[in-house]
Amino acid sequence: MRRSHLLAFGLLGSAAALVAPAGPATAQETLKIGVPTALTGTYAGLGAEAVRAIEFAVAEANAKGGVAGHKVEIKTLDTEAKPEVARKQAEKLALEGYKILTGTIASGEGLAMGPLLARWDAIYVSTINKSDKLTGDSCVPRMFRTNHQDAQDAAVVRPWLGSRKEGKWAILAADIAWGRDSGKSFVEAAKVNKKDIVAEIYSPFGSNDYAPFIQQIKSSGAEGLWVALAGRDAINFATQAKEFGLLDKVFVAGVSFVTDNNVKTLGATSKGIWGIINYSSTLDTPANKAFVEAWKTKYNGDEPASFEGETYLGMQVIFQAVEKAKSVKPVDVAKAMRGGTFDTVLGKVTLRAEDHQMVLPNYFGYIGERGGKLRPIITETIPANVATTPPTGTCKMGEL
Amino acid sequence: MLVQILNGLVYGGLLYIVSVGLVLIFGLRRIVNFAHGSLFMLGAYVGFSVAAMGGFWGALLAAAIVLALVGALLDIAILQPLQREDPIVTVLVTFGLLLILEDFAQFVWGKDFLKSPVPTMFSGSVLIFGESFPVYRLVVIAVAALVALGLSVWLRLSKIGLYVRASSADPLTTAMQGVNTDRVSVIVVALGAALAGISGTISAPLLALSPSMGSYILIESFIVVVVGGLGSFAGAFIAAIVIGQVHNLGLVYVPWAATMIPFLLMVGVLIWRPTGIAGSHV
Repeated sequence: MRRSHLLAFGLLGSAAALVAPAGPATAQETLKIGVPTALTGTYAGLGAEAVRAIEFAVAEANAKGGVAGHKVEIKTLDTEAKPEVARKQAEKLALEGYKILTGTIASGEGLAMGPLLARWDAIYVSTINKSDKLTGDSCVPRMFRTNHQDAQDAAVVRPWLGSRKEGKWAILAADIAWGRDSGKSFVEAAKVNKKDIVAEIYSPFGSNDYAPFIQQIKSSGAEGLWVALAGRDAINFATQAKEFGLLDKVFVAGVSFVTDNNVKTLGATSKGIWGIINYSSTLDTPANKAFVEAWKTKYNGDEPASFEGETYLGMQVIFQAVEKAKSVKPVDVAKAMRGGTFDTVLGKVTLRAEDHQMVLPNYFGYIGERGGKLRPIITETIPANVATTPPTGTCKMGEL
Repeated sequence: MLVQILNGLVYGGLLYIVSVGLVLIFGLRRIVNFAHGSLFMLGAYVGFSVAAMGGFWGALLAAAIVLALVGALLDIAILQPLQREDPIVTVLVTFGLLLILEDFAQFVWGKDFLKSPVPTMFSGSVLIFGESFPVYRLVVIAVAALVALGLSVWLRLSKIGLYVRASSADPLTTAMQGVNTDRVSVIVVALGAALAGISGTISAPLLALSPSMGSYILIESFIVVVVGGLGSFAGAFIAAIVIGQVHNLGLVYVPWAATMIPFLLMVGVLIWRPTGIAGSHV
């Protein structure tokens, strides 16, 4: 009896959920942005950054009377950074009219959403996914990437690795699409620079204990270590690596490792770690300075973190595409995005028509002290035409 | 290799302290407490906050006391009123509690990851067979061993320990013998929660603190409890140590299968020895 009650409630609940999306008649007028992102789990911190940046951009746009007159509305759903959950949540958002999707963390999620975008009549703008596949062999006309892909990071790593004195390197990366991608490009960069890879380790996503890997790296005799871990994984690893003395013994660099957020959590542990910096609040462009100032005013003096800056850039692109298209229809926005040039916090940038990858400059640096505060310090700026390698030809882009 | 075995002991030790709390609660109440992971998480956060002011020992004590109170409240307010309900109701309610506690932690401590420093008295490392090994990890092993020892002495020698063991074996007969299981239960659930709090605090310098950290450890603790035999204390100890080793050595030697091995172990135990490694009774 009790169980049947429960079942009835469950059915009632799902029925209500199905009825709800009917939505108000003004749906055409509002620019509805769906945010399927990680609100719980290993990447919860990164999801929180994405949401904060989107909320900031939306508040800013609405304060100016909307985007080309369209009021902007967002809805966020939790994906736990899991591809199958992301697909479900994105579908839910699209069915409710939130058809411009963005803010998703893991590449696997973007790859899961891609093939279904046309069916949902939605578009997806990646601001954080890095796997080359998104704009490579898995590219679709309704998927765009305004952040750096792995190939752009690799283009920065190759010359940098050549300048390092360490000959033996180990790789520790998360065992997900992005980590595998990053590991592979580092192996190639090592080959070009005649460096030995003495250990190549892919740790399970969301690991608690990194001690076994740390031990492996120590006994491999590596002089340098390349790390592709993010969020909770990065913090767990760095904490435990420090404890085992690995950070002091081996030269450590990585991708998504030198971020403001990791600096904030790890404090002194993060000092002296090198890596690719995709965005930093210290970037010296007028647009970025204005953005950072506005951000600080809104968030009590906090500076925007890496994923916040990158996601804000994505929102700038979406808004400018809506203005150009004079429409909030996903397909019109997509047409305006393809091949378009946009004014962003990183300057004027173009979204390449061939594979929908943004042509961006990239940065390299380390975590050090500046102005009495630990923060990512940029030592090298690689211009967009060098950092962005030409399309590989694996993407066969269809018509919109 | 030896260092890898020590690492396995550290992880197994942590798992043991979490799972033995689950076993205590299951043994007496016959319920699977889904909120146990969030008690672990709360312990880590309470420990984190207190450690900043009162040092490591203060943090350990505070986490144990606060969580014991939470546990007592959990038993009086939720588990006792629900004891005559279908077990699925208790499972659902404790699962709901897990979500509430996660939101609570997010509200109090925020969404960002936090990190507790290693207590200064245990920082640094010692040389073990030529390999340096962090002192703090040895402390974790020692705490787990002390908990195991203390708990088995308490279960063997104290009156409540006797009741708990009796009740784990046969709750109905124990109640018929005149044991007031409700009163015993408050103490036992409080103790189980306090152990979750202690394990949370000692793992805080090793793991990133986040409101959802409890769910990471909860699943592996369930595996430990099932492999060890539901309600079996010695079983939980053996299973935690075995899983700690299998997990660590698996990651090193068969990385592609490492996350699967504990689950395979559980499936194997359920098929060939459903009462668990040490479970002669259920």
